[in-house]
Amino acid sequence: MKLKKLAVLALLTAASLILFVIELNFPTLAPVPGIKLGLANIITVYAVYSFTAGETAMVLAVRILLGALIAGEPFTLIFSFSGGLLCLAGMLLLRKVIDKKHIWVCSVLGAVLHNVGQLTAAFFVMNTSAVLAYAPFLLAAGCLAGALTGFAAQFVISRLKGRIDI
Amino acid sequence: MIRSQKFWICVCAAVFALSLIWCAAVLLAPHGDSVRISQDGRVLYTLDLSKEKDRRIEVEYQGRKNIIEIKDGRIRMLEADCPDHVCIHTGWLSSDIPIVCLPNRLVIEFAGSDLDAAVG
Repeated sequence: MKLKKLAVLALLTAASLILFVIELNFPTLAPVPGIKLGLANIITVYAVYSFTAGETAMVLAVRILLGALIAGEPFTLIFSFSGGLLCLAGMLLLRKVIDKKHIWVCSVLGAVLHNVGQLTAAFFVMNTSAVLAYAPFLLAAGCLAGALTGFAAQFVISRLKGRIDI
Repeated sequence: MIRSQKFWICVCAAVFALSLIWCAAVLLAPHGDSVRISQDGRVLYTLDLSKEKDRRIEVEYQGRKNIIEIKDGRIRMLEADCPDHVCIHTGWLSSDIPIVCLPNRLVIEFAGSDLDAAVG
């Protein structure tokens, strides 16, 4: 039983890494750094609604670490971690009040928290409030991308219902 | 209220609407000709674009180099040996959106209207 769960979590991590690598090859969407679809978040949102907090955190942390290694940009780690952890903490709280029919709502708010975390990190790293001019663009794009990945995760959950027994 | 799904949908809509209004405010905000180039929180140059001649400025950070170009009263990042080149894709500085090179901690931004009012 425990081994099976380990295998499923490893599979999820691998799937999120694949999504991450696919997205790396997309052209830059906008002149504002940090704007992206966040396809790998589909897995995080799925995991939030299917596994315990600790298990989801493990999948996310491994994905962020290995993702930074694959992308070869270790300096982005602090932004990924601050954004990812705030997003995860928020979604883990929100899953208590948002039901499985409204996962996209949870995903949108998670994306917004992700941006808030990134901007806070950028504010301290860059030592300037200039990065705050990025905030509205990141938030607006985050809402759209969050809704998209949220719907994707919702489909995954309804399709996989009863097919994986962990 | 906190258990109502509608409440959370409204929160999403409100965040999205506010961010769009904020976007417009940033894009439409008036700016002067005074530009500040800073690195790691330290101001390196304060330039008045309307008085600057066309030239290039080289800035180094831990062995990495950025080249800033000033041409026809505009300013942009011409070259950067960072991995992502976000700063170059930003193009000419045209609004309150700064040109930022995160890996090299370099920021090019309009210095705000206070100085311009004093100068002009």
